[in-house]
Amino acid sequence: MALLNPDIQNQVRELFADLAGPVQIKMFTQDFECSYCKETRQLAEEVAALSDLISIEVFDFVADKDKADELGIDKIPAIAIIGKEDYGVRFYGIPSGYEFASLLHAIKWAASGRTELSAAGIKFLQELDKPVHMQVFVTPTCPYCPTSVTLAHQMAIVSPMVRADMIEAQEFPHLSMRYQVMGVPRTVINDVAHLEGAAPEPMVLDKIREALAKS
Amino acid sequence: MLDFKLAPQESDAHEKAGERIYDLIVIGGGPAGLTAAIYACRARLDTLVLAGALPGGQPANTDMVENYPGFPQGVTGADLAQLFQDQAERFGARIELDNVMSVDFSSRPFSVSTYGVTYKGRTVIVATGANPRRLGVPGEDKFYGRGVSACATCDGFFYQDRTVVVVGGGDSAIAEGLFLTKFAREVIVIHRRDELRATKIFQEQAFANPKMRFVWDTVVEEILGDETVTGVRVRNVKTGAESVIETDGVFIYVGMEPATEIFAGQLELNEQGYVIADRRQRTNIPGVFAAGDVQDPYYRQIVIAAGTGAVAAMEVEKFLAEQE
Repeated sequence: MALLNPDIQNQVRELFADLAGPVQIKMFTQDFECSYCKETRQLAEEVAALSDLISIEVFDFVADKDKADELGIDKIPAIAIIGKEDYGVRFYGIPSGYEFASLLHAIKWAASGRTELSAAGIKFLQELDKPVHMQVFVTPTCPYCPTSVTLAHQMAIVSPMVRADMIEAQEFPHLSMRYQVMGVPRTVINDVAHLEGAAPEPMVLDKIREALAKS
Repeated sequence: MLDFKLAPQESDAHEKAGERIYDLIVIGGGPAGLTAAIYACRARLDTLVLAGALPGGQPANTDMVENYPGFPQGVTGADLAQLFQDQAERFGARIELDNVMSVDFSSRPFSVSTYGVTYKGRTVIVATGANPRRLGVPGEDKFYGRGVSACATCDGFFYQDRTVVVVGGGDSAIAEGLFLTKFAREVIVIHRRDELRATKIFQEQAFANPKMRFVWDTVVEEILGDETVTGVRVRNVKTGAESVIETDGVFIYVGMEPATEIFAGQLELNEQGYVIADRRQRTNIPGVFAAGDVQDPYYRQIVIAAGTGAVAAMEVEKFLAEQE
């Protein structure tokens, strides 16, 4: 049975009608599919089917270890959204509930390579000379979370130095423990700085500055 | 069960200032704002909704809504919010997920500015709603988002088999407390009075729930913990006795504060900060109307917010007709 009902499929198809370019979805699961791996794969396949511009490849996390390493995939289920280049946009865990909107946003932005960040923000991000890794912890029932996820993903798109992961906290309890996630959204930057709540762009940029000063 | 929510995607945030004058700008995307948009769009008014980062308003953040007419089995807050939005969009409302940073109501058309964009409207409906009030005690800021929360649907998961405290005794406190019993081992409700203010049906459910425990006549004085929340220091308001209650998390539902900061000095507010509006939802500025919780210190119900949104939109239509 399809995960996406016909109504949602139509809306997404409409939304994808003006995609600016091709997008590749690289999905990682494994032979014996993990909790939500099957659903995440199915979701990725269903989304890819809604536009001729979207292609999908499914990899086995174990058998295709080289590919996983190349894309920096270290846990599953994982989805990498790749446009003209690999911008570093990742989803770990299923982008369901409110996070489905984050997935659609990521595809749209990866297709064009353009975002809605401010000019000043883009300039700062493009001038970064050190890597920035943003991990945004979410739950699918959190209405504030896509704000943080989409902001982080946009930052990854404009800057080759930035990688941004959505992490569905319930599927990766060890990471939630490690980063002391007790509320979402929680954005962890380079393991040294963190931000609670759906913060606006300037506040996230300040956090990146803080993280870079610490690392 | 998995579900998939679509947020409005289209954004035209780079619209040049002053290029287009809307008949109506609605500030706020909750039940009041979206109902106003439904009515205004059906009256063929050119309508922009600036919905903030989270469309749907407070219901989007509510587990189940059981008192909104037309849904005999109840409806999730998120679904209801989405339905409001779908209905407004069906009639042509343009909804932007943008926060309003400032307004200028000194001359018409009115100016409403978000981060980087200024929109112009011949009329405005203020429907910014209310935000959860904080306790204002030590430890609250330090642990906000890390053990202190106002969103049980977001954060309930992190309290599996743990103990949580819910502060408050109204509908939100009890409804969200009941929701938290799905995860937590124990939910301790700390309330400053000796009885709940929540609707009777919530009270019955709460008292019947073996995971719920009540601490009466008590206020929270401090949230304790080093790296994570370990407890709350409380004081009994009748005896003055202080004690510590151990807990892993604190959910605060002690009422709401109207979101009126950006209107101070322009709109007349009452001493609690609510916008003063008359029965026709008019504010002190002709052409600026208010609807929903931002002007309602008493009821704060979805159905009432929607009702005042409809009134405001009908008054906007009348106002614009009189201007011509």
